[in-house]
Amino acid sequence: MNQFTFAARQKTVLIGFMVLGLLCLGITFMTDDQFHTRFWTNYLHNSVFFTGIAFMALFIISAFTTAWGGWFVNMKRVWEAFSSFMIPGLLLMLLVVIGLWGHFHHLYHWSDADEVAKDSIMAGKAGFLNKNWYTFGTIIIMGIWIFFYQRIRTLSLAEDREGKGIADGYRHHKLIRIWTAAFLPIAGFSSAAIIWQWVMSLDAHWYSTLFAWYTGASWFVAAMALTIMLLIYLKGQGYFQSLTADHFHDLGKFLFGFSIFWTYLWFSQFMLIWYANVGEETVYFQERMQNYPVLFYANLALNFILPFFLLMRNDNKRKYGPMFMASLFVFFGHWLDFFLMIKPGARHTAMEAMHHADGAHAGEAAHHAVEFAMGFTIPGLLEIGTMLGFLAGFLYVVLNTLTKAPLSPANDPYIGEATHHHVWPYID
Amino acid sequence: MKTYNKEVLYGLYNDEHDMLKAIREARAQHLEIWDVFTPFPVHGLDNALGLTESRLHISGFIYGAIGAIFGFGFMTWVFTRDWPIIFGGKPYFSAPAFIPITFELTVLFASVGMVVTFYTICGMGPGILNPTLDDRITDDKFCIAFDTTNASEADEDKLRHFLNGSGAAEIDTKNI
Repeated sequence: MNQFTFAARQKTVLIGFMVLGLLCLGITFMTDDQFHTRFWTNYLHNSVFFTGIAFMALFIISAFTTAWGGWFVNMKRVWEAFSSFMIPGLLLMLLVVIGLWGHFHHLYHWSDADEVAKDSIMAGKAGFLNKNWYTFGTIIIMGIWIFFYQRIRTLSLAEDREGKGIADGYRHHKLIRIWTAAFLPIAGFSSAAIIWQWVMSLDAHWYSTLFAWYTGASWFVAAMALTIMLLIYLKGQGYFQSLTADHFHDLGKFLFGFSIFWTYLWFSQFMLIWYANVGEETVYFQERMQNYPVLFYANLALNFILPFFLLMRNDNKRKYGPMFMASLFVFFGHWLDFFLMIKPGARHTAMEAMHHADGAHAGEAAHHAVEFAMGFTIPGLLEIGTMLGFLAGFLYVVLNTLTKAPLSPANDPYIGEATHHHVWPYID
Repeated sequence: MKTYNKEVLYGLYNDEHDMLKAIREARAQHLEIWDVFTPFPVHGLDNALGLTESRLHISGFIYGAIGAIFGFGFMTWVFTRDWPIIFGGKPYFSAPAFIPITFELTVLFASVGMVVTFYTICGMGPGILNPTLDDRITDDKFCIAFDTTNASEADEDKLRHFLNGSGAAEIDTKNI
């Protein structure tokens, strides 16, 4: 089957989960504090996570194409479909921007003009951490990403329709190579800038030069894990029959390798801060180790120890069971990773804002507030439901985009190489 | 010079595809191939020979695990029992500070151990000269070799006949 049909049953299930997600967001909004902190952090958490996965899918296509990769082209439609979520992703992030201007949320400490005025650190960063930069950064950077997505996708589809292979000198493919190669440096710098704005500025006083890479690696691994799970599902449905154990073996290597890469970045960030022991840097880990010990160590267990041992053996990467399980854990693990990046800082900001609103001793109590709070120190059922809703929305867009083109890019010069891809010299 | 104390009947092929075909045919006829020599890795050769996955990486994991335990354990012993020193106000047992060295020793043990294991298994090493059947197997010839040390005349004829029939450019015997 070279043409994907979005079955009515799949639509019903996905819409069902989207309704569940909306319901969870609604309940969170109703039962929240006066700033709706839990609602907005959940919203930001999932928007950033899934938009990042969409962006990483385009980055994956670009990196593999630029590296003269041929093995992946019979699954590249899935990544093209992933990247199509950047358009809804931009809309999701625009709601955060609107909330920023309309003072609907208190996610970002630096968005509060009174606070910035009496805080020399934030005042020093105000040239970058301000509403204008946040707004234009989001719109321009995501606009550039979407522009590149449109170019690469359009060329890929045109190649399918009118490509003549050697007769027209692989014209479309050559253009795709140029666009993807141009996208790589842009993606590298722009993703870092947008991660500083969206995620790192939640802890407005704190900064780490490694943070953008570390977050990007988290997106990358999550995108890989979701790809593996979706491809195993679609192959079970009778699509993508040209994908063999060798393709999953290579995807497994990426999942394995980049899980270790993520750990390397995580540890590099942690160890330098731990060793230098400078108060303005350690505050980030102090908060997380003291108040989120379960998540803090579960993060490492799920995203490093588990994939490391589960995917180390070659034969595990060639079996659907272990691959699906590893992907599931790692995907959830990186969602928790983003939870840990976003919740503590935003909660802190909200508590200080609340103390201001109450007129109580300004922020002093907030600094010492360590009490357990469902939805803040650990994901509750509402968080899980919201995540499932966003995931269903993501998959709905992805599957919908998949229906719009043949699953196999017939005129891609590498389709033969991808079909005959072998990485394993032995008999399975 | 290392010796195998074997009498070997071998055929040299000019093309790796002829050789691969001959190997499949030999296996179909239940002729026992002693070894195959090629100037470069031939795609699908392991499969054609029916080789199973190498266990070298299992030894690599074990060496790595030993290296990790040794590195971490040694540093723990030194900094908590043998010669405790306070570095940068950190506790004696500072796990994060030990991780980089533990990682290095894991890599060192695994890589050196695997090299030594590989050389031992293959009978290679400094000062050991391996006998070759023909110098051109490192250049442009593909060789299938049969062990005929204890083979009867009839068996040897059968092997010779097979090599002849499967397109070997040259056939020879050698004691190595």
